[in-house]
Amino acid sequence: MSNTVHTSGEIAVSVQHLGLTYTTTIDRRPTLKSRLKSMGRGTKQTQVIRALDDIMLDVPYGSVLGVVGANGAGKSTLMRVISGILPPSQGRVEVYGKVSTLLALGVGFSPSLSGRANVRLGGLAAGMSRQEIEDHFEEIADFAELGDSIDAPMRTYSSGMYARLAFSVAVTVRPDILIVDEALSTGDARFKEKSLEKIKELRSDARALILVSHALGTVKDICNEVAWLHKGKLIQRGKPDEVVDAYADFLHVRKSAVIDEDI
Amino acid sequence: MTPVDVFVPFHKGLPPLRKYWRTLWERRAFITEYSRSELHEQHYDSVFGQIWLILNPLLLSAVYFILIVIIGGHSDKVRYAHLTACLFLFYLVANTLTGGVKSVTSGQRLILNTAFPRIMLPISATVIAIFRFIPTILIFAILRTVLGLPVGWELLWAIPIVVITIVFALGLAILISCINVYFRDIANFLPYLTRTFLYLSPVLWEASDLKPKLQTIEMINPLFPILDSWSRTVVHAQQPHLSSMLIASAWALLLFIFGTYFFLSREREFAVRV
Repeated sequence: MSNTVHTSGEIAVSVQHLGLTYTTTIDRRPTLKSRLKSMGRGTKQTQVIRALDDIMLDVPYGSVLGVVGANGAGKSTLMRVISGILPPSQGRVEVYGKVSTLLALGVGFSPSLSGRANVRLGGLAAGMSRQEIEDHFEEIADFAELGDSIDAPMRTYSSGMYARLAFSVAVTVRPDILIVDEALSTGDARFKEKSLEKIKELRSDARALILVSHALGTVKDICNEVAWLHKGKLIQRGKPDEVVDAYADFLHVRKSAVIDEDI
Repeated sequence: MTPVDVFVPFHKGLPPLRKYWRTLWERRAFITEYSRSELHEQHYDSVFGQIWLILNPLLLSAVYFILIVIIGGHSDKVRYAHLTACLFLFYLVANTLTGGVKSVTSGQRLILNTAFPRIMLPISATVIAIFRFIPTILIFAILRTVLGLPVGWELLWAIPIVVITIVFALGLAILISCINVYFRDIANFLPYLTRTFLYLSPVLWEASDLKPKLQTIEMINPLFPILDSWSRTVVHAQQPHLSSMLIASAWALLLFIFGTYFFLSREREFAVRV
């Protein structure tokens, strides 16, 4: 995406006192009908959610930040703020480079279109040029190993195929700041291994990597620093071993095989 | 070193317009690519797809013509030409609406995971409707030649009228796609809404047929001056009334500005609403 070479140690992402509060509807699917029906009854239609609270975080180039936390901790929300998808409510986020914008997970927004068309559309929406996408396309298709299915409508994809395509897009398009959000936890054992290799390979480049994962073994293995989020707050940040162990203690699942194996 | 992007809390109202426009312009390829893929998906790029695209409005105008004959309106060739021409333009607006209403909510996946100007989605829906409108212009050109309707330089007025209609339809699509985020059942009301406007517009009847008692329709229906001018131009090869053109332009601009303002001031919270 960008050809600027960043030197290791330079700041890539700086998150300062970040807070995010938003109002959302209680109904998953708000309708005029339900609104009219509840009129005058004074029932609440919306709720305020405090998703992130005073987060401080720096990610330098040449490093890998692992983000761990239970479901609903605000990990994905934090990634969305860093990618500019959600504007913060308090604080400030500075980004010194092109972010991968979770592009990968946006792929497949139109299930009736083929995998190929979805990759193209996702890339174009993220601001890439047609040329950039064409240049990377072969590599994406090869890495995902989808074969002819790349031209089949995405509604016919299994969740594993889906995840493989998403991961391939994320790692092939070369942003300065790469965010990988759990997308790699589906897929068969062989593909998992392959994706882990890919992440290690990317780590050596002059880019910043943020890895959101529940696979604590992997996080310990490849991250330089780990941040532990819980209910929107940053609980601990520091050396992978320390933070991951503290988090695992918290979960009471320390040394369980389940959390170590998955990536 | 200066940051490439800084994200800070936003104020109510519009985002910085110049920057918004720049990011939108950078992503114009998305709009063409999306429309093309969708049209491809709906088979409009195949021979039979094209034939259907042409056959569908023709059948529709035939059905309405039968209706006019039965309820005893004028049923000469001019009336048929008027009906067909107006129906085609009306369906440009109607198709923009049906395509546009769910454009934001069905783009959920993309909205949640990619930062881009959300307005691209209703714009794409409008572009798709325009592509479906183009073959109908050709049909009408053939039809009016066959029927031997008058020809003149006044026909060129059709161009500004189509432009006004597109701005109007785009404004409407932007507005309704945003409303649909907050009220998901708007899409269900839409068929009734378009049907009502079809009957309130001079499509099945001509503007001059309107009883003086019902003249308020002319005032409240933005499609009235548009379709009246359209029929004068492409059917009768006359110059449209200047007042109709001005009122139509005013409606279109007003709706476009209002819709865009509404959309832009709300699109930053779409990611938590879809």
